[in-house]
Amino acid sequence: MSWRRLRTLMRREVLATFRDPFTLTILVAVPLAALLVFGFVLSTEVKHLALGVLDAADTSASRRLVADLAAKGTFDPRPYATREALQRALVSGDVGAAIVIPPDFDRRLGDPRSANQPPQVQVIYDGGEAVLAGNAEGFLRSLVATSVADLKKEQPSPAAPQNRGGVEVVTRAVFNSRLDGKPFMVSGTFGFVLSFLTVLITAVSIVNEKLTGTFEQLQVTPATSMEILLGKILPFGGVFALDVVLMVLVAGVVLHVWPAGSMLFFVVVSAFYVLVSLALGLIISATSETAAEAVQKTVLLSIPLVQLSGFAFPIRNMPLLVRWLTEVFPATHYIRVSRGIYLRGEGPIALLPELMLLVLFGVVLMAYALRSIEARR
Amino acid sequence: MKRSGHSFWSNVAAVAYKEATVLRHDKALLAAVFIQPMIMLLLFGTALSNTPANVPWAVLDESRGATSRRFVADIQATGYFLAPRAVPSYDAGHALLKNGGALAFLVIPQSFRRDVERGRPQVQLLLDGSDPLSAARIGAYIGQVGSAFNAIPSPSDHRPDDAVRSAGLIDVRQRFWFNPTLRDRDFFLSALAGMLLTNLCLSAMSLGLVAERELGTFEQMLALPTTPTEIVLGKLVPYVAVSYLVMLFAILGAGLGFGIWPQGSWLALLVVTLPFVLGSLGIGVFVSALAHTSAQAVFISVFFILPSFVLSGVLFPYQFMPPGVREIGAIFPLRWYQIALRRIVERGAGLTEIAIPMLALVIFVSVVLAAVRWRLKPRLG
Repeated sequence: MSWRRLRTLMRREVLATFRDPFTLTILVAVPLAALLVFGFVLSTEVKHLALGVLDAADTSASRRLVADLAAKGTFDPRPYATREALQRALVSGDVGAAIVIPPDFDRRLGDPRSANQPPQVQVIYDGGEAVLAGNAEGFLRSLVATSVADLKKEQPSPAAPQNRGGVEVVTRAVFNSRLDGKPFMVSGTFGFVLSFLTVLITAVSIVNEKLTGTFEQLQVTPATSMEILLGKILPFGGVFALDVVLMVLVAGVVLHVWPAGSMLFFVVVSAFYVLVSLALGLIISATSETAAEAVQKTVLLSIPLVQLSGFAFPIRNMPLLVRWLTEVFPATHYIRVSRGIYLRGEGPIALLPELMLLVLFGVVLMAYALRSIEARR
Repeated sequence: MKRSGHSFWSNVAAVAYKEATVLRHDKALLAAVFIQPMIMLLLFGTALSNTPANVPWAVLDESRGATSRRFVADIQATGYFLAPRAVPSYDAGHALLKNGGALAFLVIPQSFRRDVERGRPQVQLLLDGSDPLSAARIGAYIGQVGSAFNAIPSPSDHRPDDAVRSAGLIDVRQRFWFNPTLRDRDFFLSALAGMLLTNLCLSAMSLGLVAERELGTFEQMLALPTTPTEIVLGKLVPYVAVSYLVMLFAILGAGLGFGIWPQGSWLALLVVTLPFVLGSLGIGVFVSALAHTSAQAVFISVFFILPSFVLSGVLFPYQFMPPGVREIGAIFPLRWYQIALRRIVERGAGLTEIAIPMLALVIFVSVVLAAVRWRLKPRLG
């Protein structure tokens, strides 16, 4: 391998990249757009969810309950007069949940024997919006429980019912006490952008070179396959390393998400992962005849990338067989590392097994990319 | 225009015939039409879910009593959790949370037994908040086990079910309509057609047009006695047909494979798909007008597909998004199409219930078609 030839190849690549304003725009705009879009999208907070209310009791106590539900802006109550109207609202999706307060709500509330027969309310959720209903459920239950407990205290009932059971669970989240969705999504977005964009850009760049014939020209020069490979991925690697730094800064300044661990460690690991991913792009393009084919392969590859890498859905929740399958994607391991550093501040020692796997992926993919370039000569 | 209507439609038909022939021989498109829906159907049907499962957790039981063991067993019985890992100290549990070995860490204090007798038992639950969606759900599950837990099973309770239910101050009877078990599968699969059609219409249409321009066949067509409108219409027809095929595939696949049949009107389904497909294809035409090469067309399409998946609510509920972001999502036709799809498929809606999403889609189509006309003019002049 000649260092001089490699340097020439790299210079060529850098010039070609920076000459093309479109590629440059993509390199800056896609990561930033992805960060902002994904950063804001995941939230567990139920806010202003339309709640249908059928208040058959219509007493001061039941109105208090409804007012309590609206108080924190969690639910926006909308009154309905009949059950049919409420049903229609649920079917048309006007309300995401509904609460029905029976006429005997007050009587049961004031009843001293109410420990045996507590007031009853019915809550109906729109299960069609499964995620929403799942999260709203917890909020609604605790709001109703608190509100009724308050009402109960104010009731001039002689025999305050003894709490016969129940264990109070005092919950606290460590690492992200407000359960903010941004850090989780930001650390995953690195995995998505670095995997998808690298593969797409190399694939397109090589196929375009094939179309214009410069790839054939390269192969008749004295440059070895290794030099061609490195000449292709090192400049791109450098560009993407800059991209990583840019993303870290934007995530920090705009979204206020900084890595909990070492920033230098994160950038180094990400730069290495970019090389792994670029090798994958080389393989795709070396095995494709046309740009459309390379692109189609990349897009097909991006489905498991988004959905099986743990970026959008926790791998834990998948069936066993699929969980094994996810381990085959380098992105899965990179996202684990990225989350480890960003969310839990882990260092190289804790992440060693995942890092070793990434290195292994890198070696295998590079070797395969080299072979597929050689096969073309 | 002096030409007769007859010639107009025969020109459209001719272009459509030519386009259909091209499509039939496009292997990449066939892959997009057949492989992608299969993968998505299988993934969403069997693998992907937001419902916690196999959750690793740790327990520090300082009371070591029968009651605390029963409480742990009750949590275990919800089925979301792996077998709990007993840790010897608070620090050990915290360390497990930190290295990801546990998502939840339950601390049962030494005084638990005594507190149960006094009627104020309390336990502490630490959650790994780094995955907020899972953490919120797990916290809610354990909290519910706690509030339903009958700490003192008294012998006078003849019917234990009643005792558990009336343990609290209020009896909340919950029901989940349309999807009683809150399966994520139903949520995703009912909107699958929207995801597939967005992918197909945008990338296929824009790539097809750009490829023609690259090959020079678009110029040849302009030289023929066809008007731009005829060309665009003729090109749209086969894509609309393919889109309906894909839509039917998604609906039948979800029905045959996973038993999720549309509860509402099939007519509404067919009607609402048309403006969505036309709108998406229109964006594809627009993208092709902006792009010079097929690579650029792909990048621009991805730029549109990505946010429309994320912000429309097909994957993440849009109701959770902060104001502002929620409104941005309303720009994308997929938002309105998925609302309509979910209403029809899950809630059994008919034409009247989907009037608003339908209206939004029609407005969208008109805007896009106007934009396409405006943008295509200079090129064709």
